[in-house]
Amino acid sequence: MAKYSLNEVLKQREAQKSPETVNPDEVKLDDVTRVKVLSPTRQVMKRFLRNRLAIVGSLILISMFVFCFIGPIFYAYGQKDTFHKYNSQNVNYALAKVNVNYNGYVVDDSVEFDISETNAMNTRVKSMIEDGLDNLLVVGDKGACLIEKLNDTTYTLNRADVKEICTIGGSSVKIGTYDLLTKELVYENGVEEISGLKAALSKEIGKSAKSGEVEFGGVTYTYEKDKGKSFNITSYDEGINYAGAPMDEAFETALTSAAATGESFTFDGKEYVLASEKEGVYDVYQFNGSKVGMVYSILTFDAFETGKNISDEFRASALMAAAGDGSFTVDGTDYTIQAEGDLLTVRLADGTEFGEFGPMSIRRYSGADSMDYQLKKDIATAIANMNASGEKSAELVADLPQQDADGQYVYDEEKNLLYSESDLRITQRNTGEYVINCDQVIYVIDTYAAPSWKHLLGTDGDGMDVLARIMYGGRVSLMVGFVVVIIETILGVIMGGISGYFGGWVDTVIMRLVDIFYCLPSMPIMIIIGAMMDAVRMDPYKRLMILMAALGVMGWASVARLVRGQILSLREQEFMVATEATGVKVRARIFRHLVPNVMPQLIVTATMGLGGVILIESTLSFLGLGVKHPMATWGTMINSVSSASAMAHYAHIWIPVGLLICLTVIAFNFVGDGLRDAYDPRAKR
Amino acid sequence: MLKYTLKRLLYSAIILLFVMFLIYSLMYNMPGGFIEQKAYELASKPNATKSATEWLTELKAQYGMDKGVVPGYFTWLKSAVVGDWGDSWAWTLPVTEQFSNTVWYSFILSFISFVFEILIAIPLGIAAAKKQYSFTDYFTTVVSMICISMPTFFIATVLKYVFSVKLGWFDLTGMQGRDYAELSQFGQFLDVAKHFVLPSITIVIISIGGLMRYTRTNMLEVLNADYIRTARAKGVPEKKVINQHAFRNTLIPLVTTLGGSLPGLFSGALITETLFAIRGIGYASYTSMTQADVPFTMFYLAFISILTLLGNLISDLLYAAVDPRVRLG
Repeated sequence: MAKYSLNEVLKQREAQKSPETVNPDEVKLDDVTRVKVLSPTRQVMKRFLRNRLAIVGSLILISMFVFCFIGPIFYAYGQKDTFHKYNSQNVNYALAKVNVNYNGYVVDDSVEFDISETNAMNTRVKSMIEDGLDNLLVVGDKGACLIEKLNDTTYTLNRADVKEICTIGGSSVKIGTYDLLTKELVYENGVEEISGLKAALSKEIGKSAKSGEVEFGGVTYTYEKDKGKSFNITSYDEGINYAGAPMDEAFETALTSAAATGESFTFDGKEYVLASEKEGVYDVYQFNGSKVGMVYSILTFDAFETGKNISDEFRASALMAAAGDGSFTVDGTDYTIQAEGDLLTVRLADGTEFGEFGPMSIRRYSGADSMDYQLKKDIATAIANMNASGEKSAELVADLPQQDADGQYVYDEEKNLLYSESDLRITQRNTGEYVINCDQVIYVIDTYAAPSWKHLLGTDGDGMDVLARIMYGGRVSLMVGFVVVIIETILGVIMGGISGYFGGWVDTVIMRLVDIFYCLPSMPIMIIIGAMMDAVRMDPYKRLMILMAALGVMGWASVARLVRGQILSLREQEFMVATEATGVKVRARIFRHLVPNVMPQLIVTATMGLGGVILIESTLSFLGLGVKHPMATWGTMINSVSSASAMAHYAHIWIPVGLLICLTVIAFNFVGDGLRDAYDPRAKR
Repeated sequence: MLKYTLKRLLYSAIILLFVMFLIYSLMYNMPGGFIEQKAYELASKPNATKSATEWLTELKAQYGMDKGVVPGYFTWLKSAVVGDWGDSWAWTLPVTEQFSNTVWYSFILSFISFVFEILIAIPLGIAAAKKQYSFTDYFTTVVSMICISMPTFFIATVLKYVFSVKLGWFDLTGMQGRDYAELSQFGQFLDVAKHFVLPSITIVIISIGGLMRYTRTNMLEVLNADYIRTARAKGVPEKKVINQHAFRNTLIPLVTTLGGSLPGLFSGALITETLFAIRGIGYASYTSMTQADVPFTMFYLAFISILTLLGNLISDLLYAAVDPRVRLG
């Protein structure tokens, strides 16, 4: 069917007319200059453009689209770029302390020690120093170990082979138990019966006392209430009690004289050691030699070569040699060790210095031994000066390895570290340690940076550029809005069209469905769906799809109702009768003749709906139930700074985002309003 | 009228039946919900004798969630109809008790906001309509548009930022100050009232725009009606035209919508309450929903669905009552 356009017809008619008949002064009723008919679309355009708010809204929307969809192309940063910054930070560089603990090094790993023995070394060595002892024999249930002093700073831990001989000095021996009820004395195993003791006891025990003494046969027996009516009877013995076979008289004489001083003694070619149990009482052991297992020293080894790895074997050998002939060999290299003042200097065979044992341990704060020898010396000197002048802190300028802006060490062409002068500050802690501080370059994630030229809106908590995130977030938000509205509209048009056109039971069923969806509380349901997706830890992109689908399904009812209402009134009009008369198919009748007539209302609702969807999406994201990190949306961005402190300090993040949401939704509403007014100026809003 | 009401009520009941079924099937299939968490918790306890799967089956049986969706729904429905809503899992209280603990806070909050909304929106809407295309009109239109377009959470955050963080007038969240227990009864009342200020303002702002636009549109329509022209023509003073002839007629749609929104006062402001930690029904239900607390969520959603249906019914009935031209049928 030919299209009829009044403008076209008028133009044709004008062209047919000969030019001479047109009189410029004479204006006829159907003259082109007079009758100018606008097409419906252009009429709507004209009315729309006259609406100032609608224009403002359109401009906002256009700039928003440019900003969100074209902006990222020209913007330097992506949505997932993390930014870093270089921070000069005062760090704890090193820790210096005067050693107070003895560190053990294994000399011979075939000699085994129990962990309790090695752990007790510090205490035992210190008690030896306190008592002025040169060696100490400790006999425990794990065996006997002997601690020997090599020199003032070095002690060895030996496994001793001992045999218990006897005890000397006062000792209590349990005789047996006496029962008050049965008046019976039961002797301990191995104790010979003492005749008459029972009678003596029965006289004494039973008086109210719980304990007391009974003199019998020149020996004092002590009784003490054990439990019920039974008493423990012990005798006190001041002599020698043998653990095994008794020794002869000569041994006892030697032992008694040794017990007076508590020193070891030699008898019959064998060495005997007295281990003090308590005052005046000694356990006597026959000492059959010992084997060095570990060496303990209070000194710390510092090699002259920076960062050189020194084995414990080296330390053990060196310390043993220091007490011995002064020379040792480790891994095929010969070394000599020599005491110089309070240091032990280790030299190579050719006389060059290799390192030294000193009383002070200076290490990096992490514990690594990676500092220069010279620096250690300087720090030690500074600390000595500090102590001499009684000050608690000192300053020091030293060459430290240079760091570049990335916080990496700088090397020259020969792969040597470059050094730069740094200020070190030494402070004594209350614990007696010395902390050495200096400024170092640190490479950190630039979180919550304030707005600057580099980041116009600063960075967020992950060090990502806020402006870039806003652009990408806007993309997601706008996209969600469009997709949801399209789903809503398609569903709504199909359902509403079918319902309105057919009427009857189809209409009833669909309208009841609409009622149900109208009644469904959408926000709670979206929250439940969000929580469900949280529970299964859904992939962020899949999550976005489901979110959009759910929002679309929740919103179709109002569109369907609108379409149905329109179609109900349109269907009675003449042009529909005409379509029926000309035999247009049902599908074409609904979707080609009815639906286009509903288009104006559909466009208006869709535009207004876009704003609503963006609001719902951002609210869900704000609650943490919508789109998830690392994808940005406007709601998520506000949510990330919604805690009280973040809100107060990082207003540069959430205020622009919030304003953008408002602006977009307002713009959609303005445009929607304008469109409605333009389509039907008389319509009730 | 009675017949119409009864018919509508019957319809509503059927709609409710389906709505609740949809919601129940959603809640029923919620993965990682309350029961699952409980099962893992019990299975990871020392001396746990059963595995998580065993606990899960046992707990599901105990909570009545092992029957399948349809029988489960009808079991729920049977007890719900006689008023037995069960015990809330998240709050470990009978659902109705938790409901009565919280609903009044929500009601008070919504009611105060409702009153302010009416007091502000209707006069402004009328003022805008009186002088169409004037500054007042544009101002009102833009303001109402802004109010409609602002997300609740943004308003709440801005209010908190300005009044709590910057000015320090109000607490950020919560319903009571820290020295609540030491205050006298009147002092306690004032304290709670103070904590309700920001939430109320938030609700007023988000709801004011719609009412303002609605009033303006209806007033404009009335002002363009023939009887207003007649009134003016016969020399009725402009004041009287506006306040008596026009305003009364504007009231018809207003009363209908406002009446319809009355039941909604009980439904709670989910997002506002959550953001300000007001222990109302909205906050309680948000917590329940995220923890998959089936009994309370079912109850709350049934409750608000009933309120929605009731609101629609009330507004339809009011329309007929206020406007004699309307016949219900």
